[in-house]
Amino acid sequence: MTPIYLQRGALHSALGADLRAASAALQSGQLPVPDSFQLHELRQPRPYLAVSRSGEGRQQRCDRLLGETLGEQPGALDDCLLIIASTSLDIDDLEQLIAAEGGFRPEHSTPLDLLAEDLRQRWGFADAFTLNTACTSAANGLLYGARMLAAGLYQRVLVLAFETPSAIAQQGFGALDLTSPSGAYRPFHPERDGLILGEAYAATLLSREPGTAPLAKLLGGFSACDTSNLTTTREDGSHIDWVMREALRSAGVDTGQIGLVKLHGTATGANDRAESNGVRLLFGDALPPLCVLKPWLGHTLGACGLSETLLLMENLANLPGLDYAAEALLPLSAEPTRVAADSLLLANFFGFGGNNASLVLQRCAESQV
Amino acid sequence: MKPVIAACSVRGNASCSDKDLKAALGQWLDAPPRRIDRMILQALLCSAPLKAQVRSDCGLYLASRHPARATMGALLDAVCVHQRQPKPFEFVNSVSNAAGFHVASQLGLEGPNLFIGAGASVWKQLQMLAALDLADGAISQALLVVIDENGDFQAQAVLVEAPTKAQDFTELTASVEVLHLQAC
Repeated sequence: MTPIYLQRGALHSALGADLRAASAALQSGQLPVPDSFQLHELRQPRPYLAVSRSGEGRQQRCDRLLGETLGEQPGALDDCLLIIASTSLDIDDLEQLIAAEGGFRPEHSTPLDLLAEDLRQRWGFADAFTLNTACTSAANGLLYGARMLAAGLYQRVLVLAFETPSAIAQQGFGALDLTSPSGAYRPFHPERDGLILGEAYAATLLSREPGTAPLAKLLGGFSACDTSNLTTTREDGSHIDWVMREALRSAGVDTGQIGLVKLHGTATGANDRAESNGVRLLFGDALPPLCVLKPWLGHTLGACGLSETLLLMENLANLPGLDYAAEALLPLSAEPTRVAADSLLLANFFGFGGNNASLVLQRCAESQV
Repeated sequence: MKPVIAACSVRGNASCSDKDLKAALGQWLDAPPRRIDRMILQALLCSAPLKAQVRSDCGLYLASRHPARATMGALLDAVCVHQRQPKPFEFVNSVSNAAGFHVASQLGLEGPNLFIGAGASVWKQLQMLAALDLADGAISQALLVVIDENGDFQAQAVLVEAPTKAQDFTELTASVEVLHLQAC
């Protein structure tokens, strides 16, 4: 695949008001303090990693995020495709409306391209669409956006990924018994007890050109559907192994060149088992350094492909260690992980619907610009 | 090589119940999946008739204008009005790419599986995404599916084996005989 640059990026997350603040918090190793919501009927609390309130609605926040990503003078965007990657979209509005009106009526349903079309019209993007492949939405947004650029279909692609707080998602993951009762987010821990949902808003501008200060290059990737189960992937790791191999092939990279693997690591029983098996199938005994980021951001669902990618790129020199590393299914590090700035990175993102995706990335050191 | 292999267009009235759709699907699939919602049924109804021509290295590019309203309504009413936990299968069905999963599973597709919100340019966007995977050789076929329900519904599927650049379903399928079905 033709390398494509992530020219600029912006992230609003529970870890920090922006990418710089989130990076500082990550490097301190200090986990964010979660809010809490109550599971209906069970009346049990579950943690939730919310973004600090700014008084903005979703539309205002997305506009601010686009402004931060495009810069003060974005110019005409008639050469730029917008891809929205989100599972929540406008569900926060719908939830408020249905609660206020005492019930859902079919006319309440909004088109799935509503937000994309609104942003296209207001910002003047050449085209826009919503991509929703569950927790691989943003990863697929990056991958397909980059390949559209490589094919010469657009000059620029802006990927906007977000997950708003949603009662449906909170209660739904609760009903599936996938949220952590303990509030300890411990991917790959033998006694892991589930995920902590997180709110996040992230954006990046993709281009064939590096621009003045590119964040990273997307070198390759692959995405495919494991049809064995709607909510889990094959526990033997064979599908994940295949997807990672195809991602490496698309980037022209072999396993020995990978300097770090960013694991999907949801801390749910089946996912971590499958990913652990898949990583061992691919790398055998020659495992590169491994890291997880969800304990710091929460599981940001459709946005995780971008929220985690941006945070990863800014922190290769100091990824915090895990205090349970010695017990983990995979050899995670108890000490901070430091990899060279130009290391080749493999990043995994898996989702409901059998969607598995892997990206091959490399941070742009100054000498590469 | 003719890029379009086959196409199917299914129409249904607003009065078509999910039970009617399940019965119609039974003509095409021996063992349709259980506990699926209306959008999944519609996606399967237009895709299943193409099953015999589909190879395993086929990607799926599916779009819908709306989520499945009944599923969304049940979830929103349970969670936001009655303060109950949603039924797990309803929550899982509400994931937009659940329909894509069931189509891929029933037709044996192993390629990429994407879902987008259907707007005015939906056929152009689906063809653009599929063309990337076809051009890379990642797949040898692509199944494009669009579902539109606003009262009555229409579900359309086109199987292609080379990149195409048509404006809409009519132009895309001009070279093949489209299988037109009325669900009920």
